[in-house]
Amino acid sequence: MLQKKMKYIIVAALLLALPLVFIGNSYFLLLLCTGMIYVIAVSGLDLLFGYSGQISLGHAGFFAIGAYTSAILSIKLGIPVVFSMLFAAGLATMFAVLIALPAARLVHHFLALITISFGEIVYLFVAHADPLTNGFSGIGFIPSPSLGFLVFDTNMKYYYFLLVIVAVLLLFKNRIIRSRTGRAIIAVRENIYASDGIGINVKNYKILSFALSAFYTGLAGALYAHLIGFISPESFTLNQSIIFLTMLLLGGMGNFYGPIIGALVLTLGTEYLQVLGNYQMLVYGSLLLLIVVFIPSGLINVVNLRDLKKILHKRTTVKENDANA
Amino acid sequence: MIGSIYGLIAMGYSLIYSASGLLSFTQGELLMFGAFLGLTFYKYANLPFVISIALTIAIMFMVGVFIESFIIRKLVKAKANLIFIVLATIALSIVLKNFAMLVWGSNVFQFPQIFKTGFVKIGDVNVDPTSIMAIVVAFIAMLILHFFMNKTRFGTSMRAAAQNPLAAKTMAINVSRTTYVTWGLASALAGIAGFLIGPVYGVHLEMGTMIGLKGFAAAVIGGYGNMYGAIIGSFIIGIVETFTAAYISSIYKDVISFLVLIAFLILKPRGIFNSKVYDEE
Repeated sequence: MLQKKMKYIIVAALLLALPLVFIGNSYFLLLLCTGMIYVIAVSGLDLLFGYSGQISLGHAGFFAIGAYTSAILSIKLGIPVVFSMLFAAGLATMFAVLIALPAARLVHHFLALITISFGEIVYLFVAHADPLTNGFSGIGFIPSPSLGFLVFDTNMKYYYFLLVIVAVLLLFKNRIIRSRTGRAIIAVRENIYASDGIGINVKNYKILSFALSAFYTGLAGALYAHLIGFISPESFTLNQSIIFLTMLLLGGMGNFYGPIIGALVLTLGTEYLQVLGNYQMLVYGSLLLLIVVFIPSGLINVVNLRDLKKILHKRTTVKENDANA
Repeated sequence: MIGSIYGLIAMGYSLIYSASGLLSFTQGELLMFGAFLGLTFYKYANLPFVISIALTIAIMFMVGVFIESFIIRKLVKAKANLIFIVLATIALSIVLKNFAMLVWGSNVFQFPQIFKTGFVKIGDVNVDPTSIMAIVVAFIAMLILHFFMNKTRFGTSMRAAAQNPLAAKTMAINVSRTTYVTWGLASALAGIAGFLIGPVYGVHLEMGTMIGLKGFAAAVIGGYGNMYGAIIGSFIIGIVETFTAAYISSIYKDVISFLVLIAFLILKPRGIFNSKVYDEE
């Protein structure tokens, strides 16, 4: 127990000290911040796809709603950023419930379709509703968030701001999954009829997971807007939804660490793949295809130490058997 | 015009769905691919129109067979969750799109005019002859498919395999062959559609994505898995779109199409011709 606590303390200390290493490298910090935002968004998708088994190809829509709502509220109405972010996440949640009400009944490919349509509608709206969203020119000069006298205006400060949020959200996610609600959500994923039979309200739990998921992704969108300070419709296309899915599948779904690994690996990885230029999406597509065909359970299960030990152990016993024979 | 293109795409979706209960998101990209192939044969290789469309169809058929036997079959054999198969087709569509970018680049290409005259007068309206040709060819393709499915031995065995693979197998039908032929046909249909729409809207990388989604919408509206429903659904979507563009705004024509789709998914998810869509039945 003490050892376990020590482990957490060490991890926390490392995370806190990490920016100090890159003190002159503001760009790398920005990259880390982006990665952490993706961790939040992908964790949201994980709650939906990983735990409740419902696919969404429209998460860029929630991301966009979060980003645009928070940006517009803070610029046009001067609402403090922290509140505008929460409001934005709330609005994304509301949209999710609206979508989920009919969508929760559909089989997955129709669900995929309705979420794609949702994402496309949000994208088209954002791109063409000029008076509100400034169309393709995008919205610039989005203010940084602040808490009292603390203003998170540099990448370093934003890193710590995000660290706290990510920690809170991930712990909360873990709490939900292990609660009665979480178990019900997983039960629905595993077997709809059985969970219906033991008195779980299937529809409500599906809608709930949609709502939770959208809250995470919407908040991530808002955090993204205030980090970069500029948003335009190109960041919220169907490609973005697919990138979220690739991250989730790469890391491994229905898992605490999966989204973290997937989001960080791909964010940093793409940065170094910048040399590929236009071929980036080709890499993403091929990667997604390879993952789906060969390692559908994600990286986390490939490099799972306990399994590795088991496999090694099996090998040795097999060898022993061979020797005996 | 646009309705008949959607029709070809939607029929592809329905074919695949009724044959294997699977859903492919690659149709739109296959259309783009077919358009590029057609462009290559017709414009750069200078082949006659009929030969280049035949070549396009043949190659697209092979592409469909290839997709089924190397990706889809593997996933089905591994008893993968349906969601993963959907995801694989999405991944495949990204790969196709970017592969096309590697080969042909990301410019918009003009298809050379197929007919010498600019316009044909029908009554008081000037109509582009390529559009008429598109409608005619699409209609012929639909008719051929109809007769193939209903009047030939192989078509009948395809329908049998789709209805009940096990029973079909006991009747000595080669189910694995009917499955890949189905995928091949769907892909060929998308190829034809691409070839037909190329001269009207130009050939570029993004051309397939939206049409693919709309074709999907059409298939849903008609009742998923029903070939004839797909055609009717396509004309509904085509008409809705054209009227929106004419009377409301061309910017929002896509939005309206999606709203119609969502409305159908909510109110009448079985489409005009009932088909099974619910998760819990």
